[in-house]
Amino acid sequence: MRNDAMPVQYDVIGGAGLRFFGKVSASITHELKNVLAIINENAGLLEDLSYAAQRGSAIDPDRLNRACLQFTKQINRADGIMKNMSHFAHSVDAFDGQINLYELTALVANLAGRLAAMRKLTLEVTPPSTPVVFSGNPFLLQNFIWLCLEFAFTATAAGGTLLLSPAKDDGGATLRIGGIDGLDDTFVSQLPAGSEDLLVALGATVSADYHTKELILHLAWRLS
Amino acid sequence: MRVLLVDDEKEFVTTLAERLTLRGFKVDFATLAHDALALAEKNIYDLAVLDMKMPGTSGLELKGLLQKIQKDLKFIFLTGHGSEADYAAGSSESACYLVKPINIDILIAQMHEAVKP
Repeated sequence: MRNDAMPVQYDVIGGAGLRFFGKVSASITHELKNVLAIINENAGLLEDLSYAAQRGSAIDPDRLNRACLQFTKQINRADGIMKNMSHFAHSVDAFDGQINLYELTALVANLAGRLAAMRKLTLEVTPPSTPVVFSGNPFLLQNFIWLCLEFAFTATAAGGTLLLSPAKDDGGATLRIGGIDGLDDTFVSQLPAGSEDLLVALGATVSADYHTKELILHLAWRLS
Repeated sequence: MRVLLVDDEKEFVTTLAERLTLRGFKVDFATLAHDALALAEKNIYDLAVLDMKMPGTSGLELKGLLQKIQKDLKFIFLTGHGSEADYAAGSSESACYLVKPINIDILIAQMHEAVKP
């Protein structure tokens, strides 16, 4: 289905959206490389132990078991990474899809988890008291939340926790990102490139509460 | 050869350490830069094998900090990234740069190469 906002959305997806997709893909690739590296070392260890056993050394069954458990653990880890990637990749399909703001925020937090960990930051997503569901472009919304997190990462000291709280409000929905130590009245100029275009395409606004150190995304969308 | 392995992926670094130990290397490992520096204060190493991307302190930053403790220490970098920028950074700063998952025989050959006088 097409609507009037589509040309703008296409432009934004071709610019900021492509950069966003690239960053997420690179991060996921890195995580999968780590999973493969662990599987590779455990497979190699089994080979080493088998070689030693052929030459008469005793093998500790517990060690074999621990190596096998690593295979299961890493396969489950990779499965989780791929599920997130699949949800994310399919979000490009829908220009006007149904969005559960908590689920979408949790997905972005998962995708950004490794980058947060690199900065020694923790991401927490609080479920709203009632589900916040509306129609809109999930990819562009994910992109804007990601850019807000990129800003928050640079403005928050290592060891901090960023709290993401979706909620309903009178005119639609809000997403608060709290715990940004360095949030001040220059935040608009510090938001990454592409933020303005995304806000226009989303029909959204962003403000800050310097007292509570929260960035607040306002979505004046029709709730389901 | 005494080797210091540093990587924030604990399951990776512990298993690699075990495999290198089976091959006769004396290996210590750390998952945090802070712990790696503490080990380098206590022990003399021939070589450090460092992950490029770690929480807080990058492999390149850790290299500089380790060199302040042991100036003759040799380095090999490991990474999950395969970007050209990373390759350029790693190659210019170390004896070798390997992309995960690694082949242990290649790693060992590079380790011997790195410590050659």
